[in-house]
Amino acid sequence: MSKRKEQSHRVKVVLQRLREKMNRQMAGSLVACVHCGMCTDSCHYVLANPDDPTYAPAYKADKIRKLFKRHLDWTGRVFPWWVKAEGIYSDEDLEELKDTVFGKCTNCRRCSLNCPMGVDMATFNRMARGLLVSVGIMPEGVAVVSKDQWEIGNQMGVLKEDYLETLEWMSEELRDELGDPQFTIPVDRTDCEIVYAINPREVKYDPRTIADAAKIFYLTGENWTMPSDCWDMTNFGLFSGDDELGGAVARRLYEKVIELRGKKLVMSECGHGYRSTRCEAPNWAQFDVPFEMESSVITMLRYISEGRIRVDKTRNTEPVTFHDSCNNARSCGMFEEPRELLKLVVTDFREMYPNRAENFCCTGGGGAMSMSEYTPRRLKSARIKAEQLRATGAKIVATSCHNCVDGLTDLIRHYELDMEVTQLVNLVANAVIVEKKVAVPAAGPPKPAPLAGKTILVADDEPDQVAWLSTLFADHGAKVVEACDGDQALELARTHKPDLLTLDLAMPGKSAGEVFELIRREPQLADLKVCVISGRPELRKTIYDRSVKPPEGYLDKPVTEERVLRSVRKVLELAHDDGK
Amino acid sequence: MLEALCEQVSVGRGVMRLVRDDITLLDVDAFVYYGRHDLQLGSGFGGAISVRGGRAIQEELDKLAPVETCQVVVTGAGNLKARFIIHAVGPRFNEPETESKLRTTVHRALEAAEAKGVRRIALPPMGAGFYAVPLELCARVMVEVIAAHLRGGTQIEEVTICVVDRREFEAFARQLDGLQPQEPSDR
Repeated sequence: MSKRKEQSHRVKVVLQRLREKMNRQMAGSLVACVHCGMCTDSCHYVLANPDDPTYAPAYKADKIRKLFKRHLDWTGRVFPWWVKAEGIYSDEDLEELKDTVFGKCTNCRRCSLNCPMGVDMATFNRMARGLLVSVGIMPEGVAVVSKDQWEIGNQMGVLKEDYLETLEWMSEELRDELGDPQFTIPVDRTDCEIVYAINPREVKYDPRTIADAAKIFYLTGENWTMPSDCWDMTNFGLFSGDDELGGAVARRLYEKVIELRGKKLVMSECGHGYRSTRCEAPNWAQFDVPFEMESSVITMLRYISEGRIRVDKTRNTEPVTFHDSCNNARSCGMFEEPRELLKLVVTDFREMYPNRAENFCCTGGGGAMSMSEYTPRRLKSARIKAEQLRATGAKIVATSCHNCVDGLTDLIRHYELDMEVTQLVNLVANAVIVEKKVAVPAAGPPKPAPLAGKTILVADDEPDQVAWLSTLFADHGAKVVEACDGDQALELARTHKPDLLTLDLAMPGKSAGEVFELIRREPQLADLKVCVISGRPELRKTIYDRSVKPPEGYLDKPVTEERVLRSVRKVLELAHDDGK
Repeated sequence: MLEALCEQVSVGRGVMRLVRDDITLLDVDAFVYYGRHDLQLGSGFGGAISVRGGRAIQEELDKLAPVETCQVVVTGAGNLKARFIIHAVGPRFNEPETESKLRTTVHRALEAAEAKGVRRIALPPMGAGFYAVPLELCARVMVEVIAAHLRGGTQIEEVTICVVDRREFEAFARQLDGLQPQEPSDR
């Protein structure tokens, strides 16, 4: 008689929780698969890896199904060899499961659409992620982000002072643009029509989207506010499978809106945040939400339709295509609103094929952008998306999701597409007509160049990028020093003592992360400000995971002159062009 | 601003407070950070400690790492208002004997505070949240251990349990409500 295998403690916990988590919906999906293979061609991983059957949705699902059959379903107890019921025993088995459920699926749900049996792969893949997370088995990036969201209240660990400072900075930018010296982004106002919640990526990497939304609210005369805390509308619980995190995060936001007596929660453009907060989290949190919830895409469309803002589409003349976020579109049915909005604010809209519910994932979904160990797989599978994008001939791809912005930016760089990524709020803000009160400046002495007296070290291995940045800074009065690799950047920082280092993340020689940490730890470079300028969002963790003060600025490539100068002025805390 | 949530009970010769706030910003003598075995501060509160407190804290930790479960180490708090940070490495992710290990870890954190002459200390819900210690278990164990400590011979005058949201607040408030006020014991 063969000796019975011993299960590890973690395996026992996972199997116990599997029993607790199992519900009719998941059991239905787990028993219904007939292995017909209809799902296979719908998965971007399979299409990019046609010779590797381990990417097939049915194969991946079987990794979870075998446990269900072995431990919960009667068929597995009676004839396990027939229904392929198999147990797991060791922590290595759990690690192998991790590789599948985190590293080979973005939970995009495209395969479910093509399944004649209605198997919802993403639902039980997410459940399996949650089982592993409960015993501490998860990619490092998932752990970092989850801990930030649990403890700091947002998934990028943005501290309250940085959030409020960014709102003030954007208010300053808008005072000039709107011609209203009194303008300020309202914070914690009570009894407003709209409480506006955002994605922390906007604070950390893309504050212009906050300013663009604020500009639109201002021009409509909306009675709105942003919360001073509990402002994160994203929810990493959707990705990690941790329902407790999902419920806790959403409840904080719901309770904040109630505390402010807001009538409606409007969420900025974030696919998983919208799906979590509006559709899933009331169940996770067991919370009866007493106010309306809306995507900002619908809010903006309503403002234009009601004539509360006027737009001039001739300001956006580049050809634009639209990428449907899986969570917004496939999971929440938001197909037509973004298209209606785009057609109002751009002159040349080009549909991407396939689209709407059939669209392919950006490949950055399901938390994939935080799991750098799977980046090569992700970029290989992104070939399908790259082909879709290229076929449109568009110069701009608009999307309503911050994950998609990062995923698309990364694949556009990898596949060398001539395209930029933007969000709808940026296009609407560019098209909106501002009837500005023009203040006539008094005559005075000529203004000094805005970067005069500053020394900037530009570190980048792309000669074109170095030349472009150097010229831009020099034209605005800075003294510029150039480095083409990590070692040179460190050496020049020590000899020239610049005020600012602009740092590319993918350079030869000493890695950018090492250079950054060495600079941070060197007392004589304590005053050196660092602004990362990178086209590799997956490398952010090489900087931000270090236990040193984070960089003062961060910009995603491609960058514009305006974005670079705005960020550099902010990092150096210089006066703005108008002397404020 | 966060809606004010605060509750307070007298225990022994001390006071146990429950507040919703940012633990790294509290004006106390010491606060507890639920740390990792390698003592890397990492993300979450660890990130806030690194950014607000400065790099000296991690440098001090690097000399003390690694540590075992239930072990506690103390460092300075850099630029933070507190004088000390008590890095307590408790049970995590549903490991065996979570309750007894948590009990030991909380107890050792308080002992480490005593050794440093701390009078006002703050603790987060230890292990709840990311590390998956069930919130109700965490609240029960922490309140029991802290109350027992305050009822014994101690120089600690005030223990603040600092939570991040109403969900955590309610779990601890239920435990505090169940505490019977007692006369201070003779020392």
